[in-house]
Amino acid sequence: FHFLSRSQSNSLTTTRVLYKEIHNSTAHYFFRRISSLKLTKMSKKIVLKTSDGESFEIDDSIALQSETIAHLIGDDSASTSNGFPLANVTSNVLSTVIEYCKKHASVASEEELKKWDAEFVKVDDSTIFDLILAANYLNISGLLDLTCQTVADKIAACKDADEIRATFDIENDFTPEEEEELRRENQWSFQ
Amino acid sequence: PDLNVVDQDIPLSKNLNFRKIHNYLIILKKSLLFILKLCFSLFFPRERRFQSRTKMALPFCDIPEDLQLRILSFLSPAEISSFACTSKRYASLCREDGKIWHVMCDRKWGKKTQIQKWGSGRITYKLLYKTLNGLDNLIGFWRLCGRANPPDSSPPLVFFEWGSSFVLGSRVLAISDDTYQVRKTPFLEMGISSEGRSENFLDLDGNGRSGDEIDDDWRSNLVPVDVNFMGNGHIMVEENRFSREEHKSPVAKGSSSDESEDATSPPSFVVSEMYTQLANKTTSPRSDRRRQRKKEKERQARIKWEPEHFIKVSDFSPTVTKPLQGLWKGFSEGRNMELYMVKYDEVGGIICKKVEDLSLSRHTSPVFWTRNHAFARCPFSAEEELILDGRIHITPLPVEVCEEVVSGILYMNSSYDLAGRVWLYENGTFGFGFLRDQFIVDLKRVAFEDGCLADVLEA
Repeated sequence: FHFLSRSQSNSLTTTRVLYKEIHNSTAHYFFRRISSLKLTKMSKKIVLKTSDGESFEIDDSIALQSETIAHLIGDDSASTSNGFPLANVTSNVLSTVIEYCKKHASVASEEELKKWDAEFVKVDDSTIFDLILAANYLNISGLLDLTCQTVADKIAACKDADEIRATFDIENDFTPEEEEELRRENQWSFQ
Repeated sequence: PDLNVVDQDIPLSKNLNFRKIHNYLIILKKSLLFILKLCFSLFFPRERRFQSRTKMALPFCDIPEDLQLRILSFLSPAEISSFACTSKRYASLCREDGKIWHVMCDRKWGKKTQIQKWGSGRITYKLLYKTLNGLDNLIGFWRLCGRANPPDSSPPLVFFEWGSSFVLGSRVLAISDDTYQVRKTPFLEMGISSEGRSENFLDLDGNGRSGDEIDDDWRSNLVPVDVNFMGNGHIMVEENRFSREEHKSPVAKGSSSDESEDATSPPSFVVSEMYTQLANKTTSPRSDRRRQRKKEKERQARIKWEPEHFIKVSDFSPTVTKPLQGLWKGFSEGRNMELYMVKYDEVGGIICKKVEDLSLSRHTSPVFWTRNHAFARCPFSAEEELILDGRIHITPLPVEVCEEVVSGILYMNSSYDLAGRVWLYENGTFGFGFLRDQFIVDLKRVAFEDGCLADVLEA
């Protein structure tokens, strides 16, 4: 800038000569280095739009945990200004998902993350299923595995098929004889 | 009278009155609504909570099938069997081998091995699950117990790990006397045939397979064996002389000359082979049959490999409370590198034995032992410093001696009944030495915590 401001007072040819000097000079080199650094330091913000019309702005390091969003960014960078529309995700589910992604993007030990995850999944059942669907749509493998494991633990905690039916509201469409036969067959099959 | 006055003032005051009443009514309505909302928020969540205990707001049935399978993949077979009994829909879902058993295998072993390659991809995933479950116990270090075969065909230490479509047990051998590196050569390969039979082979030469291609020549040098699981941490490997090699027609043992030459095989083998030959008259070209006959003769001419027993090394790594435990390697008195095993027994003592010795007999004396495993910590007494000073570390020549900081000292005994010391270093390794000489044997770990071999020489 110093060189350029000086050159403005002179004639055009001198400016050109000076400009060439600037090209070759180390000051310009440093200026370019600093300006490029500035661009990279500024983390890109990504806007996500939920199905109920709310917008969420998050850092790209957090958003890239979702492989769906990563592909969208890669494919079409023009839509970053408008925000990515997520048709299947509501705002409260997305805020929970963002909470998960923020924690997992931060530097934390494995033990600490495990403890946090255990607390994170202590929500009501409808939220867990919403999280499963959202994590599947957004393709966040860590969250998907965590939520599926939680539901699997609920199934494992049931003593028998009756309890599973009660917990998950599954209709029993067997006659007692069919049920008994099936139970024996499965016991043999899955021993 | 006041009221009359108000009543008479019809146009404005009436409106005003109505206005006031209207305003009051609105305020009343708002407050009522507010109270109602409070009640709603108090009552309904409770109801919903009560509801969710017995009913999922979004039932399991409503999520797509691949997510249902993903959830089920975390369960064990017993839990899946009770889930399969819940309704017809899930019974049929859990009956499909390609779906439910596939995700179960993938969840448990997908990252460790290529599940679709086992049995050339032709076995059911249900059988694969059972097989892999059994083979899972093998992963890790096993030591020879007793020795029935010559030393070079029975390795004292075998390391089992997952291959692409098999479990590979490799010999862990010291290379020479100038490096801590170990050599890993294939010893026992356990897989499954496309018909679902378990196929295990001993590779006595230790050459292994080149890539994934199954070479006919290499195949013929393998010894088929049976691996019997004799309970926790104990396997017996026995040669199986009566197994047929697949992809080849049965052994042509028609001529009596073949039978008479083969003196080592018992009569039942001859009879069974005759029956199989008669039963499966496959047409194979003459030259092929002659080649097979020659290979069979070679195979039977080889001395029988006696059954061997292997015991699992349950703790191959040190822990915080047991810093000496595990498998170690070091040089003693400048000879070849030796493998040592240190065990903590139930009464609080420590025993260190050479892995070679463990296979020879029960009564070989340990390298060192102690009854009390408590370490003396810093600061050390002057006599201890004197004992430690001036000792020569036995290391292979290219390796430079780096003086490790001693963090603990243990008194120990050896078979010569002379005392010695174990010096625990800060980096987690240790060295031992006897009072009768001026050497320290520095030991390094054979395996990392995650079970991988350390310092393996790349072939």
